[in-house]
Amino acid sequence: MTTKVIICDDSNMARKQMSRSLPDDWPTEITLAKNGAEAIEVIKKGGQELMFLDLTMPVMDGYQTLEAIRKDDLPIMVIVVSGDIQPEARDRVKKLGAIEFIKKPVDKDKIKSVLIEYGMIEPPSSPEENAGGDNE
Amino acid sequence: MSEITALTEDERDCYQEITNVAMGQAADRLARLLNVYVVLPIPNVNIIERSEFKMTIKSLEDAPSVSAVCQGFIGAGIAGEALLIFNDLSFSDIAKLLDYESVQNSNEELEMLMDVANVLNGACIQGIGKQLDINFSQSHPVVLGQHRPISELLDDKHATWERTMAIEINYTIEDHNVNCDLLLLFTEESVHHMNRLISFLLED
Repeated sequence: MTTKVIICDDSNMARKQMSRSLPDDWPTEITLAKNGAEAIEVIKKGGQELMFLDLTMPVMDGYQTLEAIRKDDLPIMVIVVSGDIQPEARDRVKKLGAIEFIKKPVDKDKIKSVLIEYGMIEPPSSPEENAGGDNE
Repeated sequence: MSEITALTEDERDCYQEITNVAMGQAADRLARLLNVYVVLPIPNVNIIERSEFKMTIKSLEDAPSVSAVCQGFIGAGIAGEALLIFNDLSFSDIAKLLDYESVQNSNEELEMLMDVANVLNGACIQGIGKQLDINFSQSHPVVLGQHRPISELLDDKHATWERTMAIEINYTIEDHNVNCDLLLLFTEESVHHMNRLISFLLED
């Protein structure tokens, strides 16, 4: 099944890096947003499941976006992806309802482990199972 | 080598994003040192001509009195300077945050200036270097001057360059009256090298 994902970042390069860092075998339908206001508009149309959200953005930044999501009780899981790695930034976004904080530059393995942790993708089968072949 | 008069939109975006990550690392170091939250801006990236330099500097900081430190960096054909400019009104709050009783004299201020410059400049320069896979060597920080108008601290009369890439970062500390600007200046030749280095990041 395809997962509907929003990538919200003001930087074109960061959006590209983020899309490339998603697991290759994960079927997604990605919507790109340049700021929080654009993302909120997309979320309100419905059907979106997960958003990767930057913090420092013009128009509506990541904190304001999280507040807007909370205020309207919008149904979306948010993972914050930011270069602002101060402990305070991490605490604040968690308090505002983000499920996870991932630091930039993004790391493909980190994204994968977070997605597994929240049940968005299946954990990889262990090498033994692959070698064993015909179990299950 | 050909002149670089402007950056493409993609190049500017890329330098902005690289700076964003580097300044976040620098802010984290300062936040931990002072136990505060550093407010991060969106960095400004521009190619500026020598004739525009004074205007750029003036627009950075309109305080009547500033203190500034500069520090050079070099590596892999890339060279530049980091200029840290402090609004002088910031010192009393920084002194409190660093647990100085009060600022007694210029020497103590100088010490604080150097402490903060070491953290911010160093982390930012190394942060940019790491993303470009360059190990920058840094020179010792030099004080350009204390308690003077910014136009007196920075003079373009003896400048030999024609244009430079300037990255401006304005740091403020939440709930405290601390305001400083970090200006990273890259030589024109460096920008040629850097544009090549970032081209792989910009590939589709």
